Amino acid sequence: MSDIAIGLLSFPALLVLIFLRVPIGLAMFLAGLVGLIVVTGDTSFPFARLKSETFTTFSNYSLSIIPMFLLMGHFATLGGMSTALFKAAESFLGHRRGGVAMAAVGACAGFGAICGSSLATAATMSRVALPELRRYGYSGGFSTATLAAGGTLGILIPPSVVLVIYAILTEQNIAKLFLAAFIPGILAAAGYMLTISIYVRMNPGSAGTKPRVPFAERFRALFAVWPVLVVFAAVVGGIYQGWFTPTEGAAVGAFGTGVIAFLSGGLTRKTLGESFYVTARATAMIFFIVLGAAFYNGFLALTQLPQETAAWVGASGYSPWTVLIIILVFYLLLGCLMDSLSMILLTIPIFWPVVQELDFNLVSMLELQSARLDQLISDGKDIPAAALAEAQRLLASGQELTRDMTRELGLRGVTDGALNRVNIERTAIWFGILVLIVVEVGLITPPVGMNLFVINAMDRKTPMVATYRAVMYFVTSDLVRVVLLVAFPVVTLILLPI
Amino acid sequence: MHSFMDKLARLFALLGGTVLSVLIVMTVASIAGRSINTILNSDFMQTNMTGFSDLLLSSGVGSIYGGFELVEASMAFVIFAFIPLCQLQGGHASVDIFTDVLPKRINVILRTVVEIIFAAVVVLIAWQLMQGMLSKLRTGQTTLLLQFPAWWPYAFSLTGAVASAIIAVYVAAMRILEVFTGQSVLPDDMEVDH
Repeated sequence: MSDIAIGLLSFPALLVLIFLRVPIGLAMFLAGLVGLIVVTGDTSFPFARLKSETFTTFSNYSLSIIPMFLLMGHFATLGGMSTALFKAAESFLGHRRGGVAMAAVGACAGFGAICGSSLATAATMSRVALPELRRYGYSGGFSTATLAAGGTLGILIPPSVVLVIYAILTEQNIAKLFLAAFIPGILAAAGYMLTISIYVRMNPGSAGTKPRVPFAERFRALFAVWPVLVVFAAVVGGIYQGWFTPTEGAAVGAFGTGVIAFLSGGLTRKTLGESFYVTARATAMIFFIVLGAAFYNGFLALTQLPQETAAWVGASGYSPWTVLIIILVFYLLLGCLMDSLSMILLTIPIFWPVVQELDFNLVSMLELQSARLDQLISDGKDIPAAALAEAQRLLASGQELTRDMTRELGLRGVTDGALNRVNIERTAIWFGILVLIVVEVGLITPPVGMNLFVINAMDRKTPMVATYRAVMYFVTSDLVRVVLLVAFPVVTLILLPI
Repeated sequence: MHSFMDKLARLFALLGGTVLSVLIVMTVASIAGRSINTILNSDFMQTNMTGFSDLLLSSGVGSIYGGFELVEASMAFVIFAFIPLCQLQGGHASVDIFTDVLPKRINVILRTVVEIIFAAVVVLIAWQLMQGMLSKLRTGQTTLLLQFPAWWPYAFSLTGAVASAIIAVYVAAMRILEVFTGQSVLPDDMEVDH
């Protein structure tokens, strides 16, 4: 049996293990271990890898973001930030039709800006918002569905644990991915609010009313949100401005939220211990999956399967768009069964080499030349005036500059190779955001969306079916957004300079 | 027995959390030092407050030397120290939609088999980590910046890995006991809060 055949066979084997309730990290680890033994013929190679691989995986500098972000999210809750966010959003939106639900979505978006995990956002905001929603007569299924959907904003709006993993797998810049996730995240929040207003019009009995709040009180509530803004600005702004690395940013965030939680009296010796336990469980779960995936992907790389798949897709002559859509649909289906992190770790090593070979023409030579020329001008470089005027005229009329002209201008980074690199980077970022969204849709898709379970468990009076029925509205909103982002890559990429 | 295992797992989680907190504070201090250093070296400070700036600079304010290395070296311990609690409380992510339709008895046996394999894997990981540590010890490697022996962080991590292995074996043994006695020894399906 060829190595490739063994690689291919490992997929059904892995799925069977996972469906037999073998923890996902363990299943990947076993598939990788057995696969390596079969391919190399004995146990010495995989065992030798184990000597250092667990240590190097667990001590990876970029991955150390994860426990820090998890701790930060917990501190933020202890510091009362989730409550403050919800109160502020509710005082502004609460009196509208479906306003309390909109406020919950808004608060989820705000909390997502200081928390990197979807389940944590869903669970935290539910604790704050569910009682309020029920108090103002919002139906059970509508309330739980709103919070389940709102929770997905936790991972979409940076910082995001899954994006960190994606960045490491595809060797992309974490800061750029965070920046690219920003507009899609805002769009998601806006889409959910629109969904809510449609839902309450179609189901008039599903939401009660709440009196208006005077403006003085609104601004008092808004003012209480300042710690969230400070932490978000420091972490995301600092990372993007290059003041510190993403890992350092996570440390700043955890430190800042910790101080705020301490000052507000929420952080005591007892709650600190609790935060350590919660962080420990979630971190260990994530890192075990990361370890299993590293092992499994090491095996796949040895079988040459990812390269062969990429070559096969490249030779098949399918249009890049067809391939992209097939991959996204695959994620939507798999997302109904598996959690987002496992899915990304399992599939990106196969899909990324494929997608990397696809040409979506996200940047043309003309755009690259214009961008580089602008850069040259803003750097204050000495450019021959006549050549500059001529170049600007050509570019404005939609003509590429010739090699001689770029040389005369002293324009660098405008070769075909450079264009290719820019395109691959932008494809990686755009694809990453798309994948992030479709796997998050999986979190709220019946029958096994994880967010649905987490929230339904907090509101036992609401039957699961009621949640399922209401959440389909939000899933629809997600799908519309995915179509939009696929059709217009620029929406995702506009914040990123070429 | 269970209360001992519970204490062990919680102890390691607390140790890991403490080290994580120290790393966070150290990283923040390093950033603060670096920023102050940049400000003191700026043109404004150097022209207007030369004496003050140089005095502070000579005290060595700046980023912490080798901080990056310390984070990497300690993070492995943090993660290994976090595993026992997750192991004991069954916090690993799994897909249970298909097994839910199977009879309870089959599920019990399935879970036991999984725990046995899991224990074997965790023991293997701890064992190989020890081999890795010994080989680092033999070669006498040191780290690039701080020059401490490369086997130290392995040794710290190993404590967490051994605790994980002990707990994994304990959980597997209890599951086997449950299959034979039909009584539940471990709290059933411990609630995982995310």
